[in-house]
Amino acid sequence: MNIRLHRTFTVLLLLIGSSLVMADATLTIGEPWIREAPPTARVMAGYLTMINAGDTPVTVTSISSPDFEGAEIHRTVIEEGVARMLPVSQLEIPANSPLKLEPGGLHLMLFDPQRPLPEGETVTLIIHRSNGSKVTATAPVIRKTGEDHSHHHH
Amino acid sequence: MSTDSKQSRVKRLLAGIIIAILATSAGIWTARAVLQHKTAMNELDATRFPTAREIQPFELIDHNNAVFDNNALRQHWSFLFFGYTHCPDVCPTTLSVLNSVAQRLQDLDEDIRFIFVSVDPERDTPEQLARYVSYFNGDFIGVTGTPEGIEQLTKPLGILHMQVAAEDGSDAYLVDHTASVLLFDPDGRYHAVFGPPLSADAIASDFRKMLKAYQ
Repeated sequence: MNIRLHRTFTVLLLLIGSSLVMADATLTIGEPWIREAPPTARVMAGYLTMINAGDTPVTVTSISSPDFEGAEIHRTVIEEGVARMLPVSQLEIPANSPLKLEPGGLHLMLFDPQRPLPEGETVTLIIHRSNGSKVTATAPVIRKTGEDHSHHHH
Repeated sequence: MSTDSKQSRVKRLLAGIIIAILATSAGIWTARAVLQHKTAMNELDATRFPTAREIQPFELIDHNNAVFDNNALRQHWSFLFFGYTHCPDVCPTTLSVLNSVAQRLQDLDEDIRFIFVSVDPERDTPEQLARYVSYFNGDFIGVTGTPEGIEQLTKPLGILHMQVAAEDGSDAYLVDHTASVLLFDPDGRYHAVFGPPLSADAIASDFRKMLKAYQ
């Protein structure tokens, strides 16, 4: 019993610790991660899920990071086989819905890291809402060189 | 009529029946094989050309500074992907998928190569490519060259690429580029193309079907 409780607690702690620091009642961040850059890359990509638990849409105007020179929200679009990256000025998250930034779609472009960021490091992401409030998330840097299964379901 | 000739007539009749049965089943079997082959090729995710296409002569260099030309696409299967090392989303995602494809095809007794061709030769030196491709898989091959050399290969294949200036005017420009994966057969001919979104499972299973049809 004790062990089970302990385990549940540990899992909870891990979930909380790995995914979010909350400062906003309606907007929470799940599964943030930064793709470890292959050697030579100056630009890194970040991914996360933003969950709007409120009954009204939430607008995110930007996402910043003190660990990088700059950050922009981009969308990868494929038109006639050509991949293009389009800057996105803001994101609207519908009421009671999640919005996913994931490989091959919406993503965060992070320019020029302030320090080397190999796997195991963490990055701070600040999500800015149109109402002036902010949500901060801690994203682990993850080395991913196999297929990402999360972007299968479309 | 002697018993002997009666017996031989029965024998001949039997032989005839057996031959007829064999011929029919051979016919059915062949038809089924052809049909199955056709169905298998129709069920591909990839676009396979009815006739593989010869490609124009080109000359580039690989990440070890060795010449990479049409001969480098012969005697083995080659998967080609075009991109650039400063590419944050599409290229790492695709190279990760190709690494998964390589793992799924490991049981095959085939020489299969995975080649990443830079469409950003200004920034992608062989040294830079060497570090980049080996991050995903130690056997992957990086290819770059002069802008003219890249054009020689990409243009006839319909691979598009164009620089998009950075908003801050720095050299951190992006490159829009074709995100398809191209398959070349051991004759060095353009055999099939996989369009995005790419899945390692689909590419690997399509490859097995095409390999069977090729043999």
